[in-house]
Amino acid sequence: MATGSEPIVSTRGLTKHYGNGIVAVDSLNLNVRRGEVYGFLGPNGAGKTTTLRMLVGLIKPTSGSAMVAGAAPGSPASLSRVGAIIEAPAFYPYLSGYDNLRLIAIFCGVPVKRVDVALEEVELMPRKQHRFSTYSLGMKQRLGIAAALIKEPDILILDEPTNGLDPQGMVDVRKLIIDLGKGERTVLVSSHLLGEVEQMCTRIGVIQKGRFVAEGTIDELRGAATLTVRAEPAAAAASVLNGEVGPENVKLLQDGSYSVKVDLKRTAEINRRLVQAGADVTELRATERSLEDVFMELTGTEAGL
Amino acid sequence: MRAFLGELFKTVRRPAVWVCVVGLFAVAVTIGYALPWLAETYSPPSAAQGLPQGTTLADFKIALYPINFVRQTLQQWSVLGGVFALILGVLLQGSEYGWGTVKTIYTQRDGRMVMLAGKVGALAVVVLLLVLGLFAVDAASSTGAALLDGKSLDYPDATQILKGIAAMFLIYGFWSLFGLVLATLFRQSAMAIGLGLAYALVVEGLIFGFGGGLLGDWVKKIQEWFPIANTGYLADSFGAITFRRLPAQPGPYADATHAVAVLAAYVVTFVLISALLLRRRDVTS
Repeated sequence: MATGSEPIVSTRGLTKHYGNGIVAVDSLNLNVRRGEVYGFLGPNGAGKTTTLRMLVGLIKPTSGSAMVAGAAPGSPASLSRVGAIIEAPAFYPYLSGYDNLRLIAIFCGVPVKRVDVALEEVELMPRKQHRFSTYSLGMKQRLGIAAALIKEPDILILDEPTNGLDPQGMVDVRKLIIDLGKGERTVLVSSHLLGEVEQMCTRIGVIQKGRFVAEGTIDELRGAATLTVRAEPAAAAASVLNGEVGPENVKLLQDGSYSVKVDLKRTAEINRRLVQAGADVTELRATERSLEDVFMELTGTEAGL
Repeated sequence: MRAFLGELFKTVRRPAVWVCVVGLFAVAVTIGYALPWLAETYSPPSAAQGLPQGTTLADFKIALYPINFVRQTLQQWSVLGGVFALILGVLLQGSEYGWGTVKTIYTQRDGRMVMLAGKVGALAVVVLLLVLGLFAVDAASSTGAALLDGKSLDYPDATQILKGIAAMFLIYGFWSLFGLVLATLFRQSAMAIGLGLAYALVVEGLIFGFGGGLLGDWVKKIQEWFPIANTGYLADSFGAITFRRLPAQPGPYADATHAVAVLAAYVVTFVLISALLLRRRDVTS
């Protein structure tokens, strides 16, 4: 995947207050780079949808600024390069899937022949002449993605695209998003499901109560792996560990074991030193923090886990 | 142009729009011509009680003949037919909120003002078809009535027919945009149709019917700036139908120029209010 450092979405201090005193989004600085699949992660009510609505011009920010695809959100210059599904995809129930996409093609000023291409891409060709009102939730979601693809956008903005889908539908839509993210296209996808984001995204931003709490690749967010050490006598073990990696990198856990921040390549060496100091090593293993742990630490919730 | 073509594409494919249009045509034929013709043809002589000596219900059939079809159409359907135009305006805008498609259309390419212009353009096309169809249906019905009664097939001249169509287009333009602005204001169809119907059938008539009776002529000075009164002035400006042995009806309180100016002002105001609401409001549905 060709990801560039140039942001295709950038916000500076983006803020949205509502009249009843609710701060939905608070000074958000978001940077989505070209070509990446960016996961916008947060528990329900964190401000994800409000942010995405601001990025497509449906909601005006109270303060701050944003640029999407090189132009102000909601401007024709920006919208012509953005494909979006915000919350559930909405179409005209009395029109067929094909006619709904034809309508979108007319609105976007793109050739009608793009309709079949987009329907092919989401595997909806067999049902294209059926009314939208007869579509299942998964088909509606795929039609929404087809509609977003019609204008061959530089960036796709997808708001919780697997919401409400059955397990097979979720798998299908995730696979579709992974495929769409291959190549030059940027995908900004919001979700409260960690596993989903982990599968699809190259970089993640975590939002909680309207504020950004972390941003980075999955590995960056997880941080370095740690070594869990249990040895007797504990005092001898602590002495060795403090001497090897420094006391600031050694943490005594409640169960009497030690969590040691150290390059895992030194595991055998640490083991040898402990044995040489007369300690009996009963446990020595690498521990990697899951994204769930990180998410819970950052947001203090278990939402979507 | 993209917005207009898109709006037209989805509007002409919507069954509810044609139910509304055909519904008005059906009502125009049955209530406007068939039932009056049957009543005036087959009523017993006692039904003429209260009419001047020598007058029968059959004397009223002149209103059903082709020479009067423009007057008949305008005077009979400026308000009752306007309700159908109001519903069209509500349907085109209110359903976007109901289905959530408002966010779909505003995230494609053009801005909200362009999309509104497209919708108003598509609404104008449907309203024009409604008016043309109504005049065609009434012309055909009046021809049928004349043929059944063996009367002459004299039609109004082309200028009067065209003026009549233009007047009705303005009247229905007012009603349809009234529906559109109500749907925009309430972001739904049900409330907009309810309030629109209440205004069309009750509110203005009640205020001025009650007030006029109690407070005298100055109430008419106020009424002449209200929309339903002006649809009446405009319809009546085509002249009253005169019936044998019945006194001629007085002319309208205000002339056609006044009525056109007031209705046009309402049309422009409704478009501006809709534009302002759409521009300022967040789309959260």
